[in-house]
Amino acid sequence: MEAFAHLVAATGLTADEQKAAAAASSAGFAYGLAAIGPGIGIGYLVGKSVEAMARQPEAAGMVRTTMFLGIAFTEALALIGFVVFILIGL
Amino acid sequence: MLAAVVHLEGTSVTVHLTPMEGEGSEELAGVTDPKEPGPIIPELKELAWGAGSFIVFALLMRFFLYPRLKKGMDARYHGIRSAHESADAERAAARAEVAEYEAQLAAIKAEAARKVDDARATLEAERAAAMADVNAEVSAQRSAAMAEAEAAKAAVRDQIAAAVGDVAGRAGELATGRRPSDDVVTRVVQEVMAR
Amino acid sequence: MIAEAFKFPLINSILRWKDLFTSFNKVALIAVAAAVIGTVVFLLAGSKDANTAPKGVRNLAESSVEFIENGIVMQTMGKDGLGWTPFLLSLFIFIYLCNAPGIIPVIYMPATARMAIPMFLALLVWVVYMGVGFKHQGIKYLTHTIWPPGVPVALKPLVGLIELVSNYIVRPFSLTVRLFANMLAGHILLVVFALLTQSLITAETMQALLKPMMVLPLFMLIFLTAFEVLVAFLQAYIFTILTAVYIGSSAHPEH
Repeated sequence: MEAFAHLVAATGLTADEQKAAAAASSAGFAYGLAAIGPGIGIGYLVGKSVEAMARQPEAAGMVRTTMFLGIAFTEALALIGFVVFILIGL
Repeated sequence: MLAAVVHLEGTSVTVHLTPMEGEGSEELAGVTDPKEPGPIIPELKELAWGAGSFIVFALLMRFFLYPRLKKGMDARYHGIRSAHESADAERAAARAEVAEYEAQLAAIKAEAARKVDDARATLEAERAAAMADVNAEVSAQRSAAMAEAEAAKAAVRDQIAAAVGDVAGRAGELATGRRPSDDVVTRVVQEVMAR
Repeated sequence: MIAEAFKFPLINSILRWKDLFTSFNKVALIAVAAAVIGTVVFLLAGSKDANTAPKGVRNLAESSVEFIENGIVMQTMGKDGLGWTPFLLSLFIFIYLCNAPGIIPVIYMPATARMAIPMFLALLVWVVYMGVGFKHQGIKYLTHTIWPPGVPVALKPLVGLIELVSNYIVRPFSLTVRLFANMLAGHILLVVFALLTQSLITAETMQALLKPMMVLPLFMLIFLTAFEVLVAFLQAYIFTILTAVYIGSSAHPEH
């Protein structure tokens, strides 16, 4: 981020344009950071669900429904990051 | 929105960031005005049209489309279920008929077996009787033949004894000049033959 | 030598469209078309002979009904919730038909990638599950959602605040954002890879290898299109099943 700020400053843009450039760069970070937690969470969740389905195939339907619910809740965090990315970056 | 312009001159690279206003996007889609509200602000016209069409659709579904479809589905399921039940009943009836037929078949088979056994027993008895008759006749004939043979043998023996007695008396007469009495000769011959 | 970087168009230029006529644009057209297509499909399905084995349109409609009943209502609300099937069915079909144009050639615009329709649907669901809660539990619904039975008195302010925010603000907000952001992200991805392919094909370059490289974003584009087919279905399913869960939890708080 520091290096990018220096690079932007060196291009000799106006203050508004520098701000836009900084926003564009930090938007990427916003989404990237927001995706870490849900990524781990969804991986763990689906892994456990597959384990449960393999142990008890007759409960697979219920496990799958619950898995989708869990994914939906976990994924929301990443999606909020994506919305922030849209808001500040584009 | 920024555009990065990269200059490559020999070994040095310079980057220029230049603000870009709408250019290069016109060819993509018919955009009205790039300076309009941000991408996550809902637009009233879309909201109104979306809401209207969904509400109409949901009401139609609730009061007309779904009940009609569901009625057909229920009717068919009911039909299928009753068809299943009648098929089950028919199957049971057919099974009962089969059982009845099998019972009749078994009875007839038993009857047939009994008749065959009776006939066989009668046959056995008749055969035994015939055998007994034949055997009795055979033994009677055999004993008659035996008696005949005994009689013939005794006659032959008497003839031999008479002849031997005659020869022996003759031989004694020649040797002693006196004829032994017939009684003595006969007794002697019979003693010898009996030995 | 000057090489110009790949230019991404303004976000509004890939999302906003000229009005077809006054205050009726492409998104509105897709929404209306979704409602009309859904109605026509079910109308045709209903007019077919119900007593023979279902074929074609009727089969489609009946399998969607059974999917909602067995896959969503029975899994979340149980037998009592079967009365909600028409609402959930229309919700599912409408969202799916609004998502699907994102990958249909020529149209290439998911109506749900705009904020309006997801927001309206989420608010509607919010109103519906609040209404169900008040109908089934009366005014106690408010205290039940804020203080679930069995919370220690000391924790009441904290739990109350959390539950208040989560039930009345986060639920509709996440419902909206989930659908909207998923479809928008998919749409942007498709645009990015389509533009990459196009710019590699039309690149004025002396590098002989550059033009054949366009197969890479092209493959990605094809893969993403297939992925978006899945996402369009999955987001409609998730929206519907969350609606069912919210309504179910309002009707029977113990679950």
